Amino acid sequence: MKKIVCFIGFILLLIIVNGAVAEVKNPDTFVLADYRTVQTIDPSSSYDVAGSMRIWNMYETLIFFDGSSTETFVPLLASEVPTVDNDGISADGKTYTFTIRKGVKFHEGGELTPEDVVYSFKRNMIVDQDGGPMWMLLEALTGQGATRDKDGKVIPGVFETIDKAVEAQGDKVVFNLPKPYPPLMSILCYTASSILDKEWAISKGCWDGNIKNAAKYNNPSPGHEPLQKIENGTGPYKMKSWEPAKQFVFERFDEYWGSKPKIRTAIVKYVKEWSTRKLMLQNGDADRVVVDTPYVPEVKAMKDLKLYEVPQLGFTAAMFCRNINPTGNPNIGSGKLDGDGIPPDFFSDIDVRRAFLSAFDREVYKQDVFHGLVIMPTSPNVEGLPYHKDVPVYKYDLKLAAEYMKKAWGGKVWEKGFKMIITYNTGNEMREAAAQMLAENIMSLSPKFRIDVRNVEWKDYVVQIRSFQYPMFLSGWGADYADPHNFVYPFMHSNGYYGKFMALNNAEIDKLCDEGIENVEPFKRKEVYSRLQYIWYEDAIGIPLYQQIVVRAYRDYVKGFIPNAMFTDDNEILKRIWKQ
Amino acid sequence: MLAFITRRFLLLILVLFGISVLLFGILMTFSPERRAATYVTSPQQAKDIPKIIKQFGLDDPFYVQYFRWMREIFKGNMGWSLVASRPVWDAFWTYFPVTLEMNLFAAPIVLFFGIWLGTFSGTHRDSWIDHATRIFAIVGWSLPTFLFALVLLMTFYGYFQIFSPGVLSDQLSMFIIDNPDRFVRYTGLFTIDGILNGRLEVTMDALAHLVCPILTYVIVVVALNMRVMRSGMIEELSKDYVTTARAKGADKHTIYIKHARRNAMLPVITVAGQLMAMSMEGSIAVEVVYNRHGIGWWLAESAIQLDMPVLMCICLFMGIVFVITNLTLDILYAYIDPRIRLS
Repeated sequence: MKKIVCFIGFILLLIIVNGAVAEVKNPDTFVLADYRTVQTIDPSSSYDVAGSMRIWNMYETLIFFDGSSTETFVPLLASEVPTVDNDGISADGKTYTFTIRKGVKFHEGGELTPEDVVYSFKRNMIVDQDGGPMWMLLEALTGQGATRDKDGKVIPGVFETIDKAVEAQGDKVVFNLPKPYPPLMSILCYTASSILDKEWAISKGCWDGNIKNAAKYNNPSPGHEPLQKIENGTGPYKMKSWEPAKQFVFERFDEYWGSKPKIRTAIVKYVKEWSTRKLMLQNGDADRVVVDTPYVPEVKAMKDLKLYEVPQLGFTAAMFCRNINPTGNPNIGSGKLDGDGIPPDFFSDIDVRRAFLSAFDREVYKQDVFHGLVIMPTSPNVEGLPYHKDVPVYKYDLKLAAEYMKKAWGGKVWEKGFKMIITYNTGNEMREAAAQMLAENIMSLSPKFRIDVRNVEWKDYVVQIRSFQYPMFLSGWGADYADPHNFVYPFMHSNGYYGKFMALNNAEIDKLCDEGIENVEPFKRKEVYSRLQYIWYEDAIGIPLYQQIVVRAYRDYVKGFIPNAMFTDDNEILKRIWKQ
Repeated sequence: MLAFITRRFLLLILVLFGISVLLFGILMTFSPERRAATYVTSPQQAKDIPKIIKQFGLDDPFYVQYFRWMREIFKGNMGWSLVASRPVWDAFWTYFPVTLEMNLFAAPIVLFFGIWLGTFSGTHRDSWIDHATRIFAIVGWSLPTFLFALVLLMTFYGYFQIFSPGVLSDQLSMFIIDNPDRFVRYTGLFTIDGILNGRLEVTMDALAHLVCPILTYVIVVVALNMRVMRSGMIEELSKDYVTTARAKGADKHTIYIKHARRNAMLPVITVAGQLMAMSMEGSIAVEVVYNRHGIGWWLAESAIQLDMPVLMCICLFMGIVFVITNLTLDILYAYIDPRIRLS
């Protein structure tokens, strides 16, 4: 009897095991359904999240983020991570020395040399396409964020500076910085720091290696960069095929120097419609799909999935423009403080800004819009960045908001009232909710306050922000590298991307921003960024809205994912994952 | 006849010139900053907008920009599609077969099903069959395509797990990528290439991927054809020649099919011709929901992102399609109704 029971048990176990195995469709193929397209796979020009994902899997950088960390690194094409202790970084923070790994092969068969590394950095900086990512390396290695001035003319001597910035010394590569640049290590993990095979790149029409000819290779039109659709990296995956806006197929590189990845083929499919992506995930035709925040409850209700909540290094705020362009601008009504509009410098009064800040209910916003799945930031230096600290925020208090309004503009705001328009970019439900909430709360203070909320297509929105058309705009920033400078400068410096369009002009902020990037001493930087974070509150610069937590939805048989705040949900480090 | 066709083709050049000037003029109403923003996908990139304007001369006068574009066209360069990440011409020949493939199968169904249903309804006026087909037509015509496509997708793919979205299954798609010499893309249409390469499994798989898109398209579009045909039939059947034919003892089949239907066909051909021409633009809803990247999807994305070279290309293409369609219709009129003479 026992034998029969054991036999039946064994058969049942076999069926269960077989059933479980049968559920894993194509065990050595990984399918990701995304809705963002890739413009180029040239590391010098790619500056979008979808392109980065492709490049990170095909090319490699000298170092890379260590697991979930955004501040510690592991060597990739360098044999060790340089530090001050191992003499890889000079005491003054101006020289970085990397020993290059030996025995690394490119996909087309070439072997990695220090000359390839030097060439790659120079070539990528020389390309410096408009709208491209090379400003980061140029800022660090040449002290200038571009190779051309604002009129598009090449800055004299810039290529010669690039030529001297990187050099090979035996099996080492040395970076010579004009001044210390603390985020350099993080920038060296970015796709713009990918390493190319020099001979191959030249044979494909890239910079010929002669610095005198550099101008010829500078700023190619989109689509005309030589490596737009071809690759030859050292990464664990090769490009098998790419049908733009349809699918991108990776194939494992069997001569990869590191441990052999388990996934043989990976397909990234472009699927725009959410319902289609969801059904693909449900049917197992996709192993992961990109999920936007509004659809998170739907994936949470689905079976056989493994969900990961990954905080992102990103910051979104509602920002006040203190010098609005009044010419033909419907967003400020009459352009005067007469009850039918606002003056162009309406938000230059701190009491107006404080009133708006006090009228924003952070807790309700967090729960109603994000179901609690969000980080409510207090300043641009968000959680996960070095020197982050929670600074005070303006608590939701409509009475206090009314008090501020009564004081604003010597009491004129309260007396006359005002009318203005708040805009957000079409389709962004999170920003729409914030704009509506603010408008309703401010209007509840007085019947004389009138705010309309309107939506504008994102690209029009960008153009209008740049023209100082909006009294208040809601926008965000994703990390290029994990350093406070990448967030504090754009949001607070008078020349920063948003600082400029908010018409900020605070000498202390500008000085601190410059000090923060030029200093290598951690305790000094901590001091600088602590002060800057506090100024965000003190000067009521803008309303911090959200730091997103994205939900990644995998089929439960996909293993190996390691969350990292630097990577958006479009990214996937394929060599880490497997199906079981 | 030959002179008529030649004249119409010469007219085509004027039509294309008119379309290009008109569309270029409309697109120029967008500010240079807005047109430069086409190249921007993040705030980080937006700081380079002034440089992009300089690089592409977006602030040059209208005529300078137009003639620059024309010069490139004459060189065979239609421009670069940011949406498709490739030259416009290459992208067109990638997306067009996807739309064409669906139309090749859907058009005959729309045409014949519409004519048959309209004839049937017209000859059974006010019967329950007539009411049923009219309800079908009204419901079909009123259905939001996007919603209907989603319902079909959720039913067939979501519930029954058949008819998956896309144009081909992953396995066959990989086979084609791996074996470019064993599977030649002669036409870009998988259903036909499958036959030409002797790979019927590809044809069958491509057909399975077409079932839902065609069903959606046919049910939504056939209604118009059917209603026009029904009206035509009712009108023809009330004419004196039909009464005469009946009095002379002609059988129903001869009256309906040989006499009345032939005369009722003219308006149907007009409508069907326009529908076919319009379908070359692709159905945005069908292509988006079923993840078929054809002209419709491309056009919609390009319009949203203001991808100017693509918009110019597709509008010129549609100009050609409509001129050729109208020419074909004129010739067909003369064939169907000998009283019409081409001059």
